[in-house]
Amino acid sequence: MVGTNRIQGSFRDPSGFLFYRDEILYRQINKKYSDEYNMLMSSGLYENLLKSRLLIPHEDVNVQPEESKDAFKVIRPQKVEFISYPYEWSFSQLKDAALGTLSIQKRAMKYGMSLKDASAYNIQFHEGKATLIDTLSFEKYTEGMPWVAYKQFCQHFLAPLALMAEVDVRLSQLLRIHIDGISLDLASGLLPFSTRLNFGLLTHIHLHSKAQQQYADKQVETSTTKKGGMSRQALQGLIESLESTVKALDWKPVGTEWGDYYNFTNYSDSSFDQKKEIISKWVEKVNPHSVWDMGANTGFFTRIASERGIPSVAFDIDPAAVEKNYRQVKSAKEKNILPLVQDLTNPSPSLGWNNHERDSLSERAPADMVFALAIIHHLAISNNVPLIEVAEFFHGLGKWLVIEFVPKSDSQVQKLLASRVDIFNEYTLEGFEYYFKQKFEIHEKISIKGSERYLYLMKRS
Amino acid sequence: MYFSHIPLAPEFYLDPGSGSILFQMLVAAFLGAGILIRSQWSRIKRWFGTKPETTDEDNEENGGN
Repeated sequence: MVGTNRIQGSFRDPSGFLFYRDEILYRQINKKYSDEYNMLMSSGLYENLLKSRLLIPHEDVNVQPEESKDAFKVIRPQKVEFISYPYEWSFSQLKDAALGTLSIQKRAMKYGMSLKDASAYNIQFHEGKATLIDTLSFEKYTEGMPWVAYKQFCQHFLAPLALMAEVDVRLSQLLRIHIDGISLDLASGLLPFSTRLNFGLLTHIHLHSKAQQQYADKQVETSTTKKGGMSRQALQGLIESLESTVKALDWKPVGTEWGDYYNFTNYSDSSFDQKKEIISKWVEKVNPHSVWDMGANTGFFTRIASERGIPSVAFDIDPAAVEKNYRQVKSAKEKNILPLVQDLTNPSPSLGWNNHERDSLSERAPADMVFALAIIHHLAISNNVPLIEVAEFFHGLGKWLVIEFVPKSDSQVQKLLASRVDIFNEYTLEGFEYYFKQKFEIHEKISIKGSERYLYLMKRS
Repeated sequence: MYFSHIPLAPEFYLDPGSGSILFQMLVAAFLGAGILIRSQWSRIKRWFGTKPETTDEDNEENGGN
């Protein structure tokens, strides 16, 4: 019988699956995977990967399996604070996930194992680091075996990275449509001719794509014998070539909308400090377990929470801001902040088989506390969303809300209204309070000195 | 066909794609030869007393992200 607690996105690999019981996440390992699991644990590979934080740690638990007929054992993986998807990552996040996957494959080969899949969805940012969360991704390596995950690696990592670096960083959004990665014929067609002069891209995307078309209907006879296979050295050569191709891809966050946002706000230094002080005081007062900063830019205010040890997600629409934020996370080795690309006017939807494989943003809610700083005018004016709808949206995202109201007289709003008719009669301080009071209790309201803006602390009702 | 016996474990659940398998075997033969040449070259360098380069794994274990 199929258990009802099985996670709906966990069905492709017959080696096992994830399930929830009493709000705790477990992984059932099936009998057919017992040899590989034992090899992972006894060979030294597990310790090696844990030492470099490349694999999620787990513990053995004495828990009734969800589907006992096939069960070998149940393990409890360490909790990942926020599950994110490749179409929400900045360029360097996807690049680090790719390099992490290849590093795992190289280590696995040293211990007589190999990755049997290379899905970008198997990587999560755990305490600031790209980490493999699928403990069942390993297969015993027999000399002669090709890398069965080669195609998947190229589709999930190399093709989107090449498109982001060589065409436009926003092409990461193709991953939202193509849930099993970007087909190589599509990537090959979109990449400029100059990428054919890059040995790695020529090989792993352009020629690989041609070969796929050429041999699409050919039957490949498989066997478990060593005869006719691919040497260990050849496999190492393939992995190292992929690694150097990925390393050579680069994208720099320059020339974007928000690049220098903090230098052009309506704040004097003292009001900026006052805003920071107010938010710090409220974070201390509420002491939330998690914070989502909606419109975080490079994460200046998010760090008020993350530096207190609160797991925080810094969402922004601008891939350059998210990239800058992630680079800061890496250089300072920050563990509690996760920068992600998110368009609040069109948030990540539920995707995949039966719309249950990848959760929408709202399915991953609620956070304990939500920041909505200097964002309301973008939603209510740029995107014409009625204030009651904005209130409803934030009501669904979290229990506590720190929100900044930016009035029409503010020059940032004036800029938005400069090229259009002002149809926003209700966009006033009174109108804002009237609609938000229908969804929240207002706990505090503070005027920001030197500006016409207000900060509110609200709790959803 | 030239590649008539390609060893794949029966447990693989992904479709690796015929073209991707055949292509990688062809390409990897050349790329593997590159590794062989490199390792021979570093042996020669060692013979002349040059220090070997550090690997990625060493770098990662020394605190790389």
